[in-house]
Amino acid sequence: MAEVCVLVSIGRHPVSGRARRADLDARAVELGLGLAGTLVRVVHAGDPAEPVLRDYLGMGVAALTVLPLGPDDDPLPSLVAYMRAHPVDIVLAGQCAEAGEGSGLVPYLLAEALGRPLVAGAAGLELDGSRLRALQALPGGRRRALSAALPVVVTVGAGAPEPRAVAYARARRGRIVIGPSVASPDEARRSWHVAPARRRPKRLKAVVGGAEERLAAATRMATGTGRTLVNPDPAAAAQVIWDYLVAEGIVADALGATS
Amino acid sequence: MTTEPNRPRRDPRAERAARVAGQVTAAVSEPAQFSAAVITRVIDDPGYLILTVVDAPDRRLSAHDRDVLGAARKLADAGGGAVLALAWSETLDLGAAGADRAMIATADGAEARAALVLAAIERHTPRHVLFADRAPGGGDIGRRVAARLGERAATNVVEVAQTGIVRRAGAHEVRLAPPHIMLLAPEAADPVTGARHEARPVDPPDVTLTPRVQDEGPVAIDASTVPLAEADLIVAAGTGVTDWPAFHRLAMALGATEGGSRAVVDAGHLPSDRQVGASGTLVEPRCYLALGIAGAPQHLQGIAHCERVVAVNTDLHADMIKRADLAIIADAQAVMPALARLAEARRRG
Repeated sequence: MAEVCVLVSIGRHPVSGRARRADLDARAVELGLGLAGTLVRVVHAGDPAEPVLRDYLGMGVAALTVLPLGPDDDPLPSLVAYMRAHPVDIVLAGQCAEAGEGSGLVPYLLAEALGRPLVAGAAGLELDGSRLRALQALPGGRRRALSAALPVVVTVGAGAPEPRAVAYARARRGRIVIGPSVASPDEARRSWHVAPARRRPKRLKAVVGGAEERLAAATRMATGTGRTLVNPDPAAAAQVIWDYLVAEGIVADALGATS
Repeated sequence: MTTEPNRPRRDPRAERAARVAGQVTAAVSEPAQFSAAVITRVIDDPGYLILTVVDAPDRRLSAHDRDVLGAARKLADAGGGAVLALAWSETLDLGAAGADRAMIATADGAEARAALVLAAIERHTPRHVLFADRAPGGGDIGRRVAARLGERAATNVVEVAQTGIVRRAGAHEVRLAPPHIMLLAPEAADPVTGARHEARPVDPPDVTLTPRVQDEGPVAIDASTVPLAEADLIVAAGTGVTDWPAFHRLAMALGATEGGSRAVVDAGHLPSDRQVGASGTLVEPRCYLALGIAGAPQHLQGIAHCERVVAVNTDLHADMIKRADLAIIADAQAVMPALARLAEARRRG
């Protein structure tokens, strides 16, 4: 069985702003539990006293390793050192953190430091011998199959299955283990000018031209490029619709040239 | 008060815009070429380059791509630079979107594309590199490039100006000077309007790379489980549809997600999560096939962001017919089985 390690972070509820189990990280733990069962290793770089960490234990993980760091420390050196000391086959992480910088860069930097391939935005994972098969979520609900040889780093997207509920008894019973950490203050971040995010106005369509054009744009309904067939034969109508769908690359035609 | 009937009306806003445009073009040496109506701006000897990686999902510039090119334009015009656009397919109008140079490269997969971007950065040494922060396109490629270069990229940038950028970080926003690599959220800058740019072809660098992650192709999914808001192709029914088995068969044959107007959902023909419109779901599929839908304003609001609309309706004067890119004036009951038969015989994948 493959060794699986999941990197988790402290999330932030989008409405109340309270600390919570980060949604994408919980989905990553869910996928990790599917691959390695309760033997999945879960690692957090941050404050070991954070009560929310117990929520990950409540998903059925036996122990959680915390690399103790302050709020202004860069987690990357600690994570790289930990991964070098305890090599695993698959590193899972949520695509993007909910709190902190939330740049989604940590998995990429980790993969680069460890020299491993990275699979982005996984919605499902499956082990096939020494290869990992991943389902990548694409826009429009579509999926693409990817595969990579182990060891590999995987980021988990919102298309992954819903995480299981937290069991209170398991959350109490689980152990939090303190691991080694490398203090590395994030100097660049101190120079930033940080302010609470404000809601940005949605862009209004800018209309070039005079008052008349602006009035017309405000009152006119959106019109299509307009090809109209009046009372065609049903077969002919179906053929025209089909040709349009194929030409626009919406569906693939088994006979003709396709994209 | 005397009025002159033929005096042209003043438009202070347009005058202001023209003044600003004049200042910008004066700063950039400009042997402009005049075509019939549109001016093509040519920048022969730029001071620096802004590399923009254009995703163009399904071979068209998306609104997000245009915003990113608009941001690149802004950064280039600030000091006499030029925009170099790197795209992955040829059927794009990069000139109208604001690109001075166009590099069309073929690379499949995020690893190969990231390698190509890295080679382009090495060859052209752009001042800034811009990506659309979108999974799984530019967001993935940009982070790979940043990780390889060991640079701290600004992700989820919500505002771009010459003086500085604003990026979103969790519940906060951060102001900083524009870094080398930026991943832009939608609407971070306005798209380019008015002047055309040259989009002079530039050869892409040659990169050979054995990807470590293999693409094994698309996976068939059950379209009926896809939420309407995410769906790619929607077949929607209105009161003009009476033959429901034929409708479901058509959706299955096309691999499309089913939707409906308020009337058919209220009548119980479709579940309420399938309702399209102001009181249902606002949808953004690549194509919307409306069967027997007249097009109430509330319904048209729901499909306001659809790129392509195909309508089948018996009423030539229905609003949906005016909205449609392809309109068929016929009974949906007759067209549905014919289209379903065609799709069952011909559809691949």
